[in-house]
Amino acid sequence: MSQTTTHAAAHGVADPEKRPITQASLNDDVMKLISLPGKWWWVAFIFDLIVLAVALAAVRNLIVHGWGVSGFMRPVMWAVDITNFVFWVGIAHCGTLVSAVLFLFRSHFRRAVYRIAEAMTVFGVLTAAMFPAIHTGRPWFDYWLFPYPNQRQLWTNVRSPLEWDVFAVNTYLTVSSIFFLVGLIPDVAAVRDRAKHPLMKLIYTLLSFGWTGANFQWKHFYGAYLFFAALATPLVFSVHSVVSWDFAMSQTPGWHSTLFAPYFVAGAIFSGVAMVINLLIPIRKIFKLEHIVTLDHMEKLAKLVLLTSTMVGYSYLTEFFMAWYGPNKAERDLFWFRATGHYWWAFWTMFSCNVIFPLVLWFKPVRRNMGIMFFLCILVNVGMWFERFVIIVTSLTRSFNPATWFYYKMSITEVALIVGSFAWFFMFFLVFVRVLPAFSIAEIKETLPMPRRRDHA
Amino acid sequence: MMNLITKLLTPAPQKFHGVMGIFYYVDDAAEAVTQLRKAGHKDLQVFSPVPHHEIEHALEQGPSLVRWVTFGGGLLGATGGFALCWYSIQSWPMVIGGKELFSIPPFTVIGYESMILLAGLANLLGMLALARLPQLKATAPYDPRFQEDKIGIWVPCGPDANARVEQMLKGQGAEEVQVHG
Repeated sequence: MSQTTTHAAAHGVADPEKRPITQASLNDDVMKLISLPGKWWWVAFIFDLIVLAVALAAVRNLIVHGWGVSGFMRPVMWAVDITNFVFWVGIAHCGTLVSAVLFLFRSHFRRAVYRIAEAMTVFGVLTAAMFPAIHTGRPWFDYWLFPYPNQRQLWTNVRSPLEWDVFAVNTYLTVSSIFFLVGLIPDVAAVRDRAKHPLMKLIYTLLSFGWTGANFQWKHFYGAYLFFAALATPLVFSVHSVVSWDFAMSQTPGWHSTLFAPYFVAGAIFSGVAMVINLLIPIRKIFKLEHIVTLDHMEKLAKLVLLTSTMVGYSYLTEFFMAWYGPNKAERDLFWFRATGHYWWAFWTMFSCNVIFPLVLWFKPVRRNMGIMFFLCILVNVGMWFERFVIIVTSLTRSFNPATWFYYKMSITEVALIVGSFAWFFMFFLVFVRVLPAFSIAEIKETLPMPRRRDHA
Repeated sequence: MMNLITKLLTPAPQKFHGVMGIFYYVDDAAEAVTQLRKAGHKDLQVFSPVPHHEIEHALEQGPSLVRWVTFGGGLLGATGGFALCWYSIQSWPMVIGGKELFSIPPFTVIGYESMILLAGLANLLGMLALARLPQLKATAPYDPRFQEDKIGIWVPCGPDANARVEQMLKGQGAEEVQVHG
C-alpha cells in the first residue's frame, strides 16, 4: 500500500494539524489503520479476550447457579445488569446523534468522526442487549420476549414498557447496523481495490456489494442515506425515551416522572459523546491523523459534552425541586436518601463527574487540551454509570413500605459483568479498527476542495 | 482454498463496446457530459470517488425513487405494528385494573417502532434494487482509480462512433481515453 503521499506530507509540514490532504492521500491515511496490525494491537486484543473469558465464567455461574450468586435480593432485583443495559444503550446513542442528527443539520464536522461513533453505536447496542437477555435468568427462553404465534395463543403484553423495550432496542439494533453497513459500502470498495490477500478481497467484495461509484449508485445511495438519517433521528430519541419509561411508568419513588424521557436522552448523548472523545483521542494520536480529526473537531465534540452536561445537571436539580415542591412524601424522602443515605458516595460521584467537573469545559484551552479531555471524559462515563446505578438501586432499596427496605451490596460476579461488558465492547471495536475503514473516506473527500481546471489555470 | 477464492474473484473477461474517458478535473468532466449528451449520447455512466453536483446536473438526474419504497415500508410497519397489538390483545385479553384493552398510547409505541423498522428495511432493499446492488456483472469497464481521485465517463457506442467520441473526450480535457470493442 502506497504511503508516499502521506509521508511526504508528514515530512513537509511540522504541525500535524496542517498536513495537506488530497483525495489520494486520504485513501492512504485511512487505510494505514487497516494495514498495520501492530504488536500493541495484539497485546490489547489478547488482554481483552482474557478479561472477557473471566466475565463469561461469571455469566456461566449466573446461569448454572442462578442470580443468587450475585448481590441481588428482593426488592433490588434490578441492579448492575440493568444499570449496564441503560449505560450501554446510552453510549450507543451518540453514534446516531453524530451520524444522523448532525447529517440532517448539515453539520460538516461530523464527517471526520461519524464512522467511529456509528461503530460505537452498533457495538454499544450489542453490549446493552446482552444484559436483559442474561437478566431473564433463563436465557434459553428469551425468545418468549418476541410475539410469535403459538398453540396456546399466548401473546406478549404489548401494554408493558418492558415489551416496548423489546421493540425499541431491536429496531435500534437493526436500523443502526444497516445505517453503519450502508455507509461503509463506498469506503469498503476503496479498500477492496487495494486488498492483496484473496480472503480479505473476498470479504471486502461481499461487503462492498460490487460498488463501482457509478452515478446511478451514488444517486440512490444518497437518496437512501437521507432517509436512514431521517428515520434514525426520531428513533434515537424514541429508544432512550422508551428505556426511561421502563422506570417512569412504574409508581416507584424517584422513577415516576415525566422528566425521565428528555433527561435520559440528554444523559445518553452526554455519555456517548464522552466515549467518542475517549476513542478518538488515542486513535488520532497513534495513527497520526491529527490533520483528519483536527482540534476543531474535538472542540466541537467537547461543546456537545458541555451542552448535555448542563441539561443533565438541570434535570438533577429539577428532580430535587419537584420532590421538595410536590405533595409526595415518599418521593421527598427518597431524594433526601439519595443525597445523604447509604449510597451518598454514589450520588456525589455522579453529581461531581456529570455536573461539576465538566464545568471546566467553559474554558477553551481545556477543550483543546487532549490530555485533560481524555481524563475528563473518563470521569463523565464513570459519572454516567453511577447515574443509572443511583436511579435504579436507591429507588428499589427504599420503596413505599419500610419493611421491604434493603441494603444492596455488589458481589464479585457483578463486578465481572461490568468489566466484561467493556471487554465485549472493545473486542468488537479493536477488530473494527483493524479491518474496516474507521473514517469515512468518501464523506471526508467531499469536504476537500475538488480539482477544477479553471481554479488551476 | 485460496486458489478457489482467487478464481471466484476473477470473473470471465467481458466484452464492452464504447469509450472510457478518465478525467481529473471536475469541471472538465461535467462539461464533457454536457457535450456528449448534446451529441446524442444519453446513456452515459459516470464513475467517481464522491458524487459531484455539477455532473449530476449535467446528467439531468432526478431524485431517487427510493423514497416511495421507504414510505411503503413505513406504512406497512405502522399498520402491522398496530394490527399486532390489536390482534394479540384480543386473542389473549389481559385485563389490568379494569382498564381498556384497546389502549392507543401503548400501541403507538409498538406501531411507531415497527414503522421505523420496516421503513429502514424497505429503504435498504429499495436502495439495493434501484442501484442494482449487489452488482454481479460489470456494466462498464472499471478502474480502481475511480475510488481514489479520478472521474470516469463511459460512453457506450458502436465502432463507427469510437473515433469521434475519443476526440470529444480528449478535447474536453480527458487525461486518458480507452477505446473498447
